[in-house]
Amino acid sequence: MGNFKKDLENLRQFRENNDRNSREVVQIWINSIGSNIDKLGKEKHVILEQVCIAALDCFQLKVAETCIKGLYNEFPNSCRVQILESMLYEADDNYNRALQILNNVIKHDGTNSSARKRKIAMCKALGRNTEAIKELTEYLKIFMADVEAWQELSELYISEFDYSKAAFCVEELILHNPHNHLLHQRYADIKYSQGGLENIEVARTYYYQSLKLNPKNMRALYGIYLTTSAMLNTQKVVTGKKKDAAQKILDWVLKEIKERYSENQVSDIEESLAALEI
Amino acid sequence: MANKIKNEFVAYSEPAIRNNLSIVEYCRTSVAAVSGCTAGVLGLTGLYGALFFVIAVTSFWFMLIFKAGIDSWKKYFISRKSLLLNGIFGHFFTYILCWTFIYGMVHVY
Amino acid sequence: MGADLIVDPQIRFWVFLPIVVITFLVGILRHYASILLSSQKKIEIQQLADSQLLLRARALRENSGYIPKNAFLIRKQAFNKEDGYLMQKRPAVSQNMMTDPSMMTDMLKGNLTNVLPMIVIGGWINWMFSGFITTKVPFPLTLRFKSMLQRGIELSHLDASWVSSASWYFLNVFGLRSIYTLVLGENNAADQSKQMQEQMQMTGAASGMPADPKVPFKAEWEALEITEHQTKLADVEKDLL
Repeated sequence: MGNFKKDLENLRQFRENNDRNSREVVQIWINSIGSNIDKLGKEKHVILEQVCIAALDCFQLKVAETCIKGLYNEFPNSCRVQILESMLYEADDNYNRALQILNNVIKHDGTNSSARKRKIAMCKALGRNTEAIKELTEYLKIFMADVEAWQELSELYISEFDYSKAAFCVEELILHNPHNHLLHQRYADIKYSQGGLENIEVARTYYYQSLKLNPKNMRALYGIYLTTSAMLNTQKVVTGKKKDAAQKILDWVLKEIKERYSENQVSDIEESLAALEI
Repeated sequence: MANKIKNEFVAYSEPAIRNNLSIVEYCRTSVAAVSGCTAGVLGLTGLYGALFFVIAVTSFWFMLIFKAGIDSWKKYFISRKSLLLNGIFGHFFTYILCWTFIYGMVHVY
Repeated sequence: MGADLIVDPQIRFWVFLPIVVITFLVGILRHYASILLSSQKKIEIQQLADSQLLLRARALRENSGYIPKNAFLIRKQAFNKEDGYLMQKRPAVSQNMMTDPSMMTDMLKGNLTNVLPMIVIGGWINWMFSGFITTKVPFPLTLRFKSMLQRGIELSHLDASWVSSASWYFLNVFGLRSIYTLVLGENNAADQSKQMQEQMQMTGAASGMPADPKVPFKAEWEALEITEHQTKLADVEKDLL
């Protein structure tokens, strides 16, 4: 029984930290909780939902189906369960059925943001990026302060190479969260990709800001190097003073970069890469 | 955004600060209630009771700062003074209620 | 402490203590009753969009220094121009508030959990425990407090620090607030005085949604109109080098 308690504790921790850990969750379900689900009381339905999503991640459709059935028994008309059901159909490649359910939910409750988000996610999964963008802009007309949606939209625009619109979305993200160095860095990346002297100058400012917020941001450091050298190359008329200043910056950045690399060998590449994800 | 810009950037996470403050609020209410009961049991009257409240609250304040670290409290709270003075009247009212209640139970009859 | 008055110890167990316990338990009961009765408010999609719009406008106003100037101006224009987001025409919502049946039931429920118990329990306590001297506050008070602390007892010679049963009840009603926070957590429904304030502002304000979007829109419009773009990134280069 002690094991059972520990498993429950684990699941609770995953939920609190928003860890997905789908494999572990499904494993826990199969090993201990699945057969004792009725003993859980209050926590039962939250766990059912958690396991259901995890099972969909691992393509354990049978498990997901049992969870959904259990939830339907308790909440026959719940939108949340219906969305889970649509996810099950989605996982099973039955997109039409899933879409039908989602449309139903939206018609029933126009304020249900997760149903709309699922629809957009489905468009994206099917590779219909333009459609996803259209849906997402519709969504953002209502849920204007949804930061995640803005981020998704910016990524979609980037994948469509529409940098000015992507920049707009990232500006929106910066407005809502002005102390995140990764957002500043992302904005600079986009501006740099857009090209043009003016944009590159903006990009450089944002790389500086990003570096200021997080002095360890290597990418920002390198970004400063790239933008400065690009400015040196494109500027046709460069007065001596400005050129000197730019050269100085280049030297400084190069020195910094070299120092950083000699300082510590990157020990855990995956971890340091994960830290740079927005 | 609970951020404060001094000569250096100091960015606070608003939910974290709010969480800290609500925990401290909880503790301070408990301190007011418990010290009120203590004062009642001891049978303090008049100004002694008020003095006891002041002592209890300030010593809790010191303990709090000590717990947060004398140098590092800035990491958890924005202002030290607000830790002492926020909602002090509400707490005083709680104190008086507990004090009166226990005093009445023990000493009046 | 020379007690100038001897009070029957029976009063302690049959008046003093019951009042505390009753007020406390009624508060707890009210908390759970209001959970039971509270209906999930159906949010209109327009209201949701409005509140999100306000959030976005505020973010723009507060952090405008972090985006380039033209980006700020584009947004300001979109919000504040003649038919921008903040200038949309809306049919007035406030008229149908009273006729809206769901609003009425909400108010009725509010009254049911707030005003009714207050009257009933207060009246009952007044009737049941009237005329007792219950306790003495442990500090001297001036005569002015007599009317407050000795409701229901008309004795002009009695020292002001004695408390009558009815007053003890009211002291408890208002003083137990923080104890409820300890027991039930924040934002509980047990506290009467807070709930009454909420009722004053009507139920709409409680859910964080303004009933009439025009007023906050106008305020936000004005605030945004006077916001000047001042970049916060001008000196980053100097800061770093």
